[in-house]
Amino acid sequence: MRPGIIRRIAAKEILSTLRDRRAIISNLVLPLVLLPVIMMGMPLLLGGLFNREAASQTDLAVENLAAMPAQLVQLLDRANVSPFEAGDVIAAVRDDEAQVGLVLPEDFEALLSEGEAAAVQVVSKMGSLSAELNASKVQGAIDGYRQQIVGERLAAVGLDPSVLNPIIIQPVDASTDAERSSGQLSWIIPFFIAIWALAGGQMTAVDATAGEKERGTLESLLVSPVSRAEVVVGKFFATTLFSIIAAAMAIVGYVVGSMIMSNVVGSRIGGDGAEIVALMGGSLQVTPQSIVLLLVSALLLAGTISSLLLAISMFARSFKEAQTYVAPLSFLLVIPAVALQFKDLLDLGTWIYAVPLVNALMVMDDLVRGSIDFANLLVTWLSLLATIAVFLGLAFLNFRKENVLFRT
Amino acid sequence: MVEVNEISKSFGDVTAVSRVSFRVAGGEVFGLLGPNGAGKTTTLRILATLIKANSGSATVAGFDIDRDPQRVRHAIGVVNGGMGLYDRLTGREVLTYFGGLYGMNQQQMDERINQLDELLSLGDALTRQTGDFSTGMKQKIVIARAVLHDPPVIFFDEATSGLDVMARRAVLDLVSEFARQGKAVVYSTHVMSEVEELCDRIAIVYQGAIVAQDTLPNLLESTGAQSLERAFFDVVKRSGLATELVS
Repeated sequence: MRPGIIRRIAAKEILSTLRDRRAIISNLVLPLVLLPVIMMGMPLLLGGLFNREAASQTDLAVENLAAMPAQLVQLLDRANVSPFEAGDVIAAVRDDEAQVGLVLPEDFEALLSEGEAAAVQVVSKMGSLSAELNASKVQGAIDGYRQQIVGERLAAVGLDPSVLNPIIIQPVDASTDAERSSGQLSWIIPFFIAIWALAGGQMTAVDATAGEKERGTLESLLVSPVSRAEVVVGKFFATTLFSIIAAAMAIVGYVVGSMIMSNVVGSRIGGDGAEIVALMGGSLQVTPQSIVLLLVSALLLAGTISSLLLAISMFARSFKEAQTYVAPLSFLLVIPAVALQFKDLLDLGTWIYAVPLVNALMVMDDLVRGSIDFANLLVTWLSLLATIAVFLGLAFLNFRKENVLFRT
Repeated sequence: MVEVNEISKSFGDVTAVSRVSFRVAGGEVFGLLGPNGAGKTTTLRILATLIKANSGSATVAGFDIDRDPQRVRHAIGVVNGGMGLYDRLTGREVLTYFGGLYGMNQQQMDERINQLDELLSLGDALTRQTGDFSTGMKQKIVIARAVLHDPPVIFFDEATSGLDVMARRAVLDLVSEFARQGKAVVYSTHVMSEVEELCDRIAIVYQGAIVAQDTLPNLLESTGAQSLERAFFDVVKRSGLATELVS
């Protein structure tokens, strides 16, 4: 194989792809813009929703409002809840006259003063986030009132309220800084890398194989004095380049999004919004060494995806047919990537690091969490290199098969 | 320049080429005349080393197609009607790309592109992206690409298919010009008038086999026909291969 020829073939594919403006925008520019927007949008939207619901007035339809003690009325008022008398509380909530309903027994105050238990019903439209937030305000006020009564009853018999809590549980977080800061949604980093590596590689791979057949340029290429291996390797390099660039764009988009979230958005949305920021890995702390290892892993993943794309799309007679063939590949990546969030529960053995594609997602997740095992990393890299060799071999065979080349 | 000895090719149960033999000398235009599906394209693909024959042998410019395919490909230029171009590359970029694959340096490429610009009147086709070209302009770049490395042997396969009268004329003139330059040209077509005008010798191909090959005057004389079309029908009928042909 002649490096100069491989370079020329790769350079032509790169130039051709770079001039496909629509493909470049949708596969390289979009992740750069889309990810920060999605990442900022979620906390802003949810954080804003929580704050708004907490600050806004909640109408509470009450059955037997007269039985409501003054202390409970005060607690509800502090939580921005306005009770009003309603004959049919469930109907009032169903018809949106009130966000929440409360059914009190007629003898509510009497039961409490006699030291009895009183059952109350809190009515809301379950399944609606807004309704549940309003219901939680009411429940919080009732719970506060309940604690007051418990305190009073215990004091009346000479007991301290702490008697009800003989054991105090204090959770201690033993996770590393990287694990803590990566958030529970850290799996979306390998997820985005995989998805965009596929999208970025696909545009070049399909154009360089089925596209060449459809345009009638493949025969011109193959009657020139280049070997089929040079053609395959040249196209592989170009495909891998766009695959890794797209993945890098996704990472850059994620990092930019994280920075904006931590420094700008997180401080503005407070409480619940900040929790979401952390959940999404908004305070991500990845060491320079992890970044290098992450990039090498992403490069090998891009290479695996690219070689697979070339082997498959060469079968197709046209661009459209090739897209049909490669579309299911996204499931190969999406399913294990989404499953990463449950990997602690799945109790996977180390053998999983020998499974191509899945292993790349696993090590990238480990790297983001700062819990990488170097033996697993090595197994993963060797497995991916072997897989690239196998897929390139298949692509090479397809470039030699007469019935594949001239299948029109 | 081109020597083909008894080559055959089958795809499953279908025989595409059956014991085809011919020779083409430098400066000669050799016609492969036959209907669609006769085996002309398969024959040229075998000679261009794109596919392998099941049996037989051939040399192109002195190189064996089985033992030395890379040198064969260096010695040939191929133009067919279905060949396309890279839409997002300019004409010059297409030519430079292929020039690089043929091992030409930048100076050689520039000189050769200038020559071809004069010969083919490429004009602004060199600077525009080929996706915007007319069919005729595309075919000019396809021809320029095929002869960029100045090969001694050129294969034309239905090269005028889909071209308007002006572009077709330009292609036919180029074929004659290449023969005048001493190149061996194999011209495959189903269009009788093109063969009559261009070819020094003609092989009539039917159902994968060459049923006759000679100069046009000899073919007319041997069949007693007044035209190539009449001679074609007579030869095919006599071969016994065409049971469906009417007299």
